[in-house]
Amino acid sequence: MKVLVVNNMAPFIWGGAEELAVHLERNLIIAGHDAEVLRIPFQWEPVQSIASQMLMVRAFELWNVDHVIALKFPAYLIRHPNKTLWLLHQYRQAYDLFDTGQTNIPDDATGKEIHTIIRAADHEAFTESRKIFTNSDITKQRLKKYNGFDAEVLPPPLNDPELFSGGKSQGYIFAGGRVNAMKRQHLLVEALAQAKPHVRLVVAGPPDSPDDAMRLQSLVEQHGLQGRVKLDLRFLTRRELGQYVNEANACAYIPFDEDSLGYVAMEAATARKPIISSSDSGGVLGLVRHKETGWISDPNPTSLAEVLNLACCDTAAVQSMGHAANKLWSDMNISWPATIERLLS
Amino acid sequence: MKIAICSSFVPFIKGGARNIVEWLQDELVAAGHQVERIYLPQVDIPDLLLPQMAAYRWIDLASSADRVICFRPPAHVIPHPHKIVWFIHHIRVFYDLWDSPYRGFPDDEKHRHIRAILHHADTTAIKEAKRVFTNSQIVSDRLRQFNEVDSEVLYPPIIKPERFHCQHFNDEIVYVCRVEHHKRQHLLVQAMKYTRTNVKLRLCGVGVNQSYIKEIEEMIQTLKLANRVFFDNLWISEEQKVQIFSECLAAAYIPLDEDSYGYPSLEASHASKPILTTKDAGGVLELIKHNYNGLVCDPDPKALAEAMDQLFTDREKTRKMGLNATQRITDLNISWKRVLERLLA
Amino acid sequence: MKIVFFTPVLKVSAIGRVSSLVVPQLLKLGHEVVVVRTEDPGFFEKPIHPFSCRVIFWTNEEQVLQLATQADLLVYQIGDHYPYHRGCLEWLPALPGVVSLHDNFLGNLFFPWAEKIGRACAIEQICTLYGSEVARRFFDHADAASFISYASEFAPMTEWVASMASAVIIHSGWSIDRIKTACVGPIEVVPLPYDAPYASYATNSRRQIMDGRRRVIALTIGHVNANKRYTSVIKAIGMSPLLRSCLTYRIVGAIEPPIKKDLQALAKELNVEMVITGEVDDRTLADEIQQADVMCCLRWPVLEAASASTIEAMLYGKPAIVIDTGFYHELPDDCVLKVAIKSELTDLQRVLEYLVDSPDEGIAIGKLASQYAHKTFRPDYYATRIIAMKQRLDRSQLILNAAQVFSDQLKNWGAKGDPEILASITAPLTLFK
Repeated sequence: MKVLVVNNMAPFIWGGAEELAVHLERNLIIAGHDAEVLRIPFQWEPVQSIASQMLMVRAFELWNVDHVIALKFPAYLIRHPNKTLWLLHQYRQAYDLFDTGQTNIPDDATGKEIHTIIRAADHEAFTESRKIFTNSDITKQRLKKYNGFDAEVLPPPLNDPELFSGGKSQGYIFAGGRVNAMKRQHLLVEALAQAKPHVRLVVAGPPDSPDDAMRLQSLVEQHGLQGRVKLDLRFLTRRELGQYVNEANACAYIPFDEDSLGYVAMEAATARKPIISSSDSGGVLGLVRHKETGWISDPNPTSLAEVLNLACCDTAAVQSMGHAANKLWSDMNISWPATIERLLS
Repeated sequence: MKIAICSSFVPFIKGGARNIVEWLQDELVAAGHQVERIYLPQVDIPDLLLPQMAAYRWIDLASSADRVICFRPPAHVIPHPHKIVWFIHHIRVFYDLWDSPYRGFPDDEKHRHIRAILHHADTTAIKEAKRVFTNSQIVSDRLRQFNEVDSEVLYPPIIKPERFHCQHFNDEIVYVCRVEHHKRQHLLVQAMKYTRTNVKLRLCGVGVNQSYIKEIEEMIQTLKLANRVFFDNLWISEEQKVQIFSECLAAAYIPLDEDSYGYPSLEASHASKPILTTKDAGGVLELIKHNYNGLVCDPDPKALAEAMDQLFTDREKTRKMGLNATQRITDLNISWKRVLERLLA
Repeated sequence: MKIVFFTPVLKVSAIGRVSSLVVPQLLKLGHEVVVVRTEDPGFFEKPIHPFSCRVIFWTNEEQVLQLATQADLLVYQIGDHYPYHRGCLEWLPALPGVVSLHDNFLGNLFFPWAEKIGRACAIEQICTLYGSEVARRFFDHADAASFISYASEFAPMTEWVASMASAVIIHSGWSIDRIKTACVGPIEVVPLPYDAPYASYATNSRRQIMDGRRRVIALTIGHVNANKRYTSVIKAIGMSPLLRSCLTYRIVGAIEPPIKKDLQALAKELNVEMVITGEVDDRTLADEIQQADVMCCLRWPVLEAASASTIEAMLYGKPAIVIDTGFYHELPDDCVLKVAIKSELTDLQRVLEYLVDSPDEGIAIGKLASQYAHKTFRPDYYATRIIAMKQRLDRSQLILNAAQVFSDQLKNWGAKGDPEILASITAPLTLFK
C-alpha cells in the first residue's frame, strides 16, 4: 500500500514528532509498503492566521495515496477517504492549555472565533477518520474530555531495540534522558550522597540549558561525589546510550507526572534492566511494579537512596527483576510491526 | 542562511523534478546552510487549480526562512519577501500545449477563463520574486512569451558528477531513461532495422505505461532484433548507470519537445560520450551541437540509423565528440558552484 | 448574447439619450437586446428616444423575470433621479447585473426610495454605510441645497448601489475608491458616450449686436440647479468692466420661477447682461450651443461621474470653462479651461477676459476639444466595454466560486466573519484580482 504519513513542520526545527514520523516511514517500508512523509509548514503565530492554514490543509488534493496516517493539528485536517489518526497531541492551546490560561488564543472576538473553528474542524476531522489512536493515555483522556471521541492508546515503540541488548552489569545506576528540573536528575545526585559508598551513578543526556547542567555539577561538588557520579551531559549517539544502558545494574527515571511510559523506561526494559521510578512519575509506572520489575520510591533523596542501595546488591535478584521488566514490556507488544499493523487495520 | 526549498509533488512519484530539489538541498547543506525542503501536493485538475493555488498562498515562511527557492508550480505562488524562482515548467496544457492533444479538457469559455486567471496569477506571483531562473532557454522563452517575465537560464547539474567516467567504447548505444511514449524508445528500435553496421542498442529503465512497454518488447521480437536490441526493463541504480555510461559507444536521448536537456544527456557528457538526438527533442539542443558533442538528426528511423552507424564506424570522431561533450559542460558553466552562486546572490 | 437593458428612455433624460446611442451599438455587435424602461409610470406617456429593439415597462413583472432568467447579461443605467430610475431600484436587488453609475452622488435617488422602504430601514442602511451620527443627520435638513451639501460630503450613497451591482462601469475615476470598497466585482472607467446631433447643421445665425459691437456669448445649459454656479458666473462678469461691456450670459434650460427671479435680480444689481430662456427643444438648444463663444460648465459640488453637457459642448467644438475637480480634472488641459474652486471668481474673470481678448484662442481650444471628444466619448467603445465586462464577470465568478468553497468551509466550522481572521485569509489572495 502507498501510505502517506502527514505531519506538521515547524521550519528548521526538528523534534520528537519528526523523529517519530521518520521511524514510522522507515518501518512502513520494512513492512513492505511504500511510505513517504508529508510535512506541512505550520506557524501558530499570529493566532488569526491559524484559520487560513487550516483552510490550506483542507484544500490539498492527494492523488496516488492509499492510506494516510496523520499525527497532529492541523495536519490531520487533510482530506482522504482512508485516514487514520495517530494523535501525538491536538492543538492544546485550544483545550487543556486554554483552560489553564497558557494559550496564545486571546480572550477577544477573534480569539473566540478561532477557538470555535478549531473545535469544529477537529470534530470534522475526527468524525471522518477511520480510526483514532493516541500516543499516550493522557492524550486519549483529553480527546474524550474535550471532543467526546474514543481512541485506542498506541504508544510509540522503541526505534532501535537491537541496540538495547542488555549485558553484564558494571555496578552503576544509569539515569538517561533530557536533563532538566522536571526530570529531577538532581534528586538522584542528592540521593547518592546518602547511599552506600559502593553505589555509583551515571547521568547522561542533553541538558535543556546550561543552568540545568550546572545544577548537577555543583551538587556533585557540594557532596564530594566526584568519584561516584559520572556526568556525561550532551547529546549521545544511540550506540553510546545503548552501551550505558546495557552495562548498568538498573536504570533510574523519576520525572514529574510524565505523559507516557517514556523512552528511558522502554530502553531499560528492552535491555532487561530493572527500573527505579517515583510514586509521582505518572505514565512511567506502567512498567514499574514495586520489587517485581523495579522500585517505586517517594520523591525525596532519603527514600531514593534506599532504593539505590537495593539496586546495587544481590545481583541475582536484580537480574531476575530485569527479566521481569523485560517480560512485562514485551507482553505489551509495543513494537513497530505491531504498531503498523494496528495503524493500518 | 535559512533556506526553504519548495516544490509541488505527487506522493510516491520520484525522479526528474525531485532530483533538482533534493540535489540542491545536499549542495546547500554541504555549503553550510540550514535547509528545509517543502514538498506539497498538487493535482493538475482544472477545477481544482484555484483552490490549490490559494492553499499555497497561505503558507507562512516569511517568519522562519531567510530565503525561499521555488520550483514546480504552484510553488512559485508562496509569498516571501526574498523569493527566488527556479522555474522548471508551467502547467503546460494551459500554456503552450493548449492547442495540442495533451489538453484533456474542452476549449470552452470556462476553461479559457481558468487559463486567463492562471496566467494572471502566475505572472503576478513570479514577478514577486527577487530573481527568476529557468532550467533552459526554451522555458525562458515561454516565460517571456506568456508571462512577460525576464529570466536567467541556470542549467541544473547532476549530483556528484565526478562519478561518471569513460572506461572504453563498446558497441552499444544506450538510452537510459524512463520508458514513456514521448521519450520515443520505439523510434530507436525501428531505426535498428535500417542500420548496416553491427551497432547495438540498449534500452534501460522503467515506466508506468505498461502497454507502451509491451509495444517495445513486441517490436523487438517482430523486427527480429533480439540479438542486437537489449531491453533492460528495470530500475537502474546509480552505480549501474555509471557503469553503463562508462562502457557505451554513445548515449541516445530523443524525447519529443522536452523542456530541458535531460539528466541522461548530462550524465553521458560527464562520461565523455557523445549524444544522439533529434531536431525536435527540445531543450537537448541547447546542450548538443551537431558534429560537436553529438549528432542531431531528423526524427525518423532511417536518419537515426545512419547516425548510429556513423557513431559505430568513425570511432575517432566518436571519441573526440565525447571529449567535446565534457568540455561543453564547462563552456555552459553547468556546475553546483555556479548554481549556488546565482541562487544565493 | 441576450441582453436586458434597464434604462430611462425619456427624451428629456440625458441618460436615456446615452442609452439610445449605446443600445444600437450592442445590436450592431450582433447581440439581442430588450430595453426595460425604468421611469415612474407617470412618465410612460411622454416622448421617448427612439429604440429599434423591443422596449417594455419595468412594471411588467412576468415579462421582466422571464427575460432576465433567459438573459446572458443584465445592464442597469442608474442616475441620481428617482422618478427616472425607480425601475432599476425595484429590480436590481433581485436581479444583479452590470451597473453604469452615472452619478456618484445618489442622495436624490435614495431619498424617495427611503420613504418607500420606511425611514427606519433607510436609517439602518445609512448607519451600516456611514455610521449612526451621519444616519441621524441625513434626514435633518431644511432644504434641498443643504441636504445635497451635507450628503454629498458625508453620505453620497454611492456604496448603496455599488454593493448591489455585480460589476460597475463609471465614467471617470474620481470616486472609484468608494465603489471598490462596496462592489466585489470588476469595476471599469469608461468614457461616457454622448453625441452632438446637430453639430453639422448650419446654425440660424443671429449674432447679437449691442452698442455697435457683437456680443460675446457665454452659455450654461441644462436643468437649472444650485450646483451649476450661475451666481459665480454673474459675479465674475460683474467684477469686470470689459466683460460687462461685451459679454452676454445666456442660461438655457428648465428653471423654477423663484430661482429665475433671484438670478435676474443679481444680474441687474451687478449690471450684467443676462438672458434666461427657460426650457427649449432640441433644435433650439443646438442653435444656442452653436452660437455660443464659451460654455460655462461649472459644477460644485461635483455630483456626477461625468458631465454629458460638457461633453456635448466639446463635441460642438466649444471652449468650456470647468472647475478643476473630478471628471473635469481628467480632461486634457488644452481642451478645456480649468478654474480652481478656491479662486473661482477671479479665475472665471480672468478666463472670460482672455477669451474675449483672444477669440482665436477660444476657437482653437474648441477645435482640440472636439477632436478629443469625438475620439473619446464613443458609444461603440462603450458597447464593447459592456461586453468585456461580461467576460470579466464570468471570470470573477470562477474566482468567487473557489472562494465560496472556503467560505462554506469556514461557515461549517462556525466562523462568524471576524475581520482579523478574514483579513489574514484574503490578503494573500489579491493574486487573483
